[in-house]
Amino acid sequence: MSVSQDAAPAMIRFSNVNKHYGQYHALVDIDASVSKGEVLVVCGPSGSGKSTLIRTVNRLEEIDSGSITFDGREVSGRVGRADLNRLRSRIGFVFQSFNLFPHLSTLENITLSPIRINGVKKDLARTKAMALLDRVGLAEKANAYPAQLSGGQQQRVAIARALAMEPPAMLFDEPTSALDPEMVGEVLAVMKGLAAEGMTMICVTHEMGFAREVADRIWFMDAGRILETADPETFFTNPQHPRAQRFLSDLRH
Amino acid sequence: MIENIVSIVQENWLLLLIGQYPNGPLGGLASTFILSVLSIVLAFPVGILLALARLSPWRAVLWPATAFVYVARGVPLLMLILWVYFMVPLLIGRTVPGFVTMLVTLVLYEAAFLSEIIRAGILALGRGQMEAARSLGHGYFGAMRWVILPQALYNMLPSILSQFVSTIKETTLGYVINVPELTFAANQINNRLLTQPFEVFAILAIVYYVICWSLTKAATTLERRIAAKRAGTRRIAPELRPQALTAEL
Amino acid sequence: MSGFDVLAVLSNPEFAGMLIAGIQMTFVIAVGSWTLAMSLGFLLLVIRQIPVPIADRFVAAYVSYHRNVPTLVQLILWYFGIYSLLPEELQYWLSDHNAEVIFAIIGLGLCQAAYFTEDLRSGLRSVPKGQVEAARALGHGHISSMRYVLLPQAYRNALPALVNHSVSLFKNSSLAMAIGASELTHAVREVENLSFRTFETYAIATVAYLVCSLLIMAVGALLMKRAQVAGAR
Repeated sequence: MSVSQDAAPAMIRFSNVNKHYGQYHALVDIDASVSKGEVLVVCGPSGSGKSTLIRTVNRLEEIDSGSITFDGREVSGRVGRADLNRLRSRIGFVFQSFNLFPHLSTLENITLSPIRINGVKKDLARTKAMALLDRVGLAEKANAYPAQLSGGQQQRVAIARALAMEPPAMLFDEPTSALDPEMVGEVLAVMKGLAAEGMTMICVTHEMGFAREVADRIWFMDAGRILETADPETFFTNPQHPRAQRFLSDLRH
Repeated sequence: MIENIVSIVQENWLLLLIGQYPNGPLGGLASTFILSVLSIVLAFPVGILLALARLSPWRAVLWPATAFVYVARGVPLLMLILWVYFMVPLLIGRTVPGFVTMLVTLVLYEAAFLSEIIRAGILALGRGQMEAARSLGHGYFGAMRWVILPQALYNMLPSILSQFVSTIKETTLGYVINVPELTFAANQINNRLLTQPFEVFAILAIVYYVICWSLTKAATTLERRIAAKRAGTRRIAPELRPQALTAEL
Repeated sequence: MSGFDVLAVLSNPEFAGMLIAGIQMTFVIAVGSWTLAMSLGFLLLVIRQIPVPIADRFVAAYVSYHRNVPTLVQLILWYFGIYSLLPEELQYWLSDHNAEVIFAIIGLGLCQAAYFTEDLRSGLRSVPKGQVEAARALGHGHISSMRYVLLPQAYRNALPALVNHSVSLFKNSSLAMAIGASELTHAVREVENLSFRTFETYAIATVAYLVCSLLIMAVGALLMKRAQVAGAR
């Protein structure tokens, strides 16, 4: 089943992707694509392969067969080390556990990679980082260290850090799951802002309100397969697959 | 007895401090100190390389590094000293002073132990830091250089300082191959006096005790500070005000 | 001298005999001082529990001295220093009974006891207070909660450090050579002098030491595996 009938060119394309962990079939015949500018939400029960799926895009996970392209270029298979690093620098990735670098200040967290990888001049990197911090509402925390920030603040810095590499697409791996409930909103607000600006995004998340409001499309995954793809309205009001129906009814209760 | 100790120190303090220098090789405490510092400083980069090799998936570097570490951990330092004493002249074609023999041995030995400390520090960081760095596009060595090692080494500073204390204690083994250092100097004094071995070696023990105790104390203080920092007590530190920040930018 | 030939050393009855005697002496010193160190380690741990400040201070001073003075210096102080302070009859008796071995065992044992007692103590302290409280709340008495709740966990936590320090103790037995005990390293130097086969002699001794150390580590790993609880890290 191919689900890429959109007119816009594909930013990320999975073609017959399979992955195993030993005996366990983690991704089964994934064949789908994400268009430029699209906001995609991947949902499904835990252990369904959502995180594994997006981690294959920047090769934090290797795949066993099939291929993945990003912005028209092959990601999977044999990619030179330098190419892989360049590719990764163009894919923004936000982790569930933030993974800020605790030995660096907020500002240094953001400027490290532009300076060391892209060779951006220090002053310019700092100016840009300050603009990004301003955008996520944390300009006054530039010199704070991660341990001094709340979870929500850390995640916003992590988003700014990823944006500093000016990636054409952003991947979010359950960005709000590790947060206290009162901090979820501030992170989602930043993500909404990004979506509104036309960023291509794949978000693995359990925040169904966000999905409904922001997503252009939903993928429902279970047991390593994409079982349903639909626009949010259809998915939430009239899910087709029985497991999607059960998933949504479990959420409501 | 106390009087004897005082008079021995009064008459021999210079020998204990610098050996027979300038009429002979530098010895005594100065030599012990230089030997220890040089050993740990030179062992440090080797230790980092060994730690990376021990974490590598490539057998061609993993296995030799692992074997090396286990040999250093499993064979007495004295035995390694004998090996270096025997091998270095064979390899470079001329004899070397005992100081160099001891230095080479300690660098190899300490590198093995430091590598275990550094490796533990890297493993303790967990996978997230490496993944985050790689996701941003850093290569393996870039991630190590800018993200992993600064944290691992900082967190492991107390252990590294403890290893320095061990190194100081290990320099005493130079005595066996007549390296002029503190223990050797004490032995010279004892050979001259002949009648007061307890006093002479008690002085030796006291000197080592004072040095190593102070450094151990420093290590525990450092450890507490680092633990507090990691727990986020930095919150207490005054945060920079926005205006100060713009001035800096 | 011909090429590398371990057999040239091992097949010579004199050299082989010296090396075997050396290994035996190494074992005597290592096992003797380990036994002394472990007993003393437990004793110091018990002394520390006495609710009198001086008891704790005494043990702390003991540990501090033995951990901050190089082991070799401690041995030298025993053999050349304290030996000379003993009454003459005792000195004669000791010199008739391998004084260097006795002092090596005492020196290494007392030194290592400081490490062992600290390992045991941190093993005990690493068990959260709530564990004993929970045991007491369930109705276990003091002894019973020690026996079934505190000590098994403390043992598991202390084991890695105890194994590491046992390996150090074994390696440190070679220091006895510096005070003239004819253990393995001492024998190695004698055989080397007589046989002129330095490389072979060193190789034999190195392998012997390595095998013993790895054996101690392996036994330690086995004990840790047995003490391991499913799911615990």
